Amino acid sequence: MSHARPVVDAMQPAKSGATRTAPPRPPDGFPSQGNYRAYIAFALGGFFLFTLSLLVLRSVWAIGNGEAAWNRLQTGFQNPLYVIYHALAFLWLSWFILRLFRLFPATLPRRIGPFQRPPDALMVAGLSGAFVVVTLVVATILWGGV
Amino acid sequence: MRRLLLVLEPVIWALFSAGMMVGGLLLPAWALVMGVAGPLGIAGAATSYDHFYAVASNPLGRLVLLAAMALPLWGGAHHLRHLWLDFGGLRSDGLVGTLCYGGAGVGSLLAIVAVARL
Repeated sequence: MSHARPVVDAMQPAKSGATRTAPPRPPDGFPSQGNYRAYIAFALGGFFLFTLSLLVLRSVWAIGNGEAAWNRLQTGFQNPLYVIYHALAFLWLSWFILRLFRLFPATLPRRIGPFQRPPDALMVAGLSGAFVVVTLVVATILWGGV
Repeated sequence: MRRLLLVLEPVIWALFSAGMMVGGLLLPAWALVMGVAGPLGIAGAATSYDHFYAVASNPLGRLVLLAAMALPLWGGAHHLRHLWLDFGGLRSDGLVGTLCYGGAGVGSLLAIVAVARL
């Protein structure tokens, strides 16, 4: 009985080329059903991250231009559309970071070095508490309390 | 362009994750105080030039503001690019990725200039 390799390999392509893959398609129910809605809402947090940081940039730029430019900007921010946008951004980004923290334990291994991973609820509570503390500190400084 | 985006992926991911964290922690307070309470007259000192200049112009204030301006741009850009991909934008990914990260890059440079000129 011979154990020689076959001369012809049926799985070998005639010539080398790019790996053939099926064209990408969205999964069933995307984006309107199940967890996809929260997934899309979380990704839309990117819109608020991007636009709000541009508004912070605009504010810092204005204060660098002097008091008149700063006052003009503050008058502009009194437009109801800006106020609604900022209120929505506050709610959306608060939910965004709290959801990120809720997902955080799932990204960690069961053991971290020699230590057992802390309970998920403890980690989520600690991170959420840190968010509340940081928000209160930043808000107090901006408010003029410090 | 897609090849360049793939090469830069680790750097973009680092900026993205830092941007999510920094933006999520700092920007809600900004939106609430500077965008809602200030304009509605609830937090009068927040809109005062002297108060905000004092907060923004000290070294720690500059550093925090720079992080709050530059990093969330990268977090937002990465989210928006991947949202575009999720909705079938693979063919135009090179262009959209360049626009998103280009915008974040230009914004980051402007943020450095903004805090430097205070």
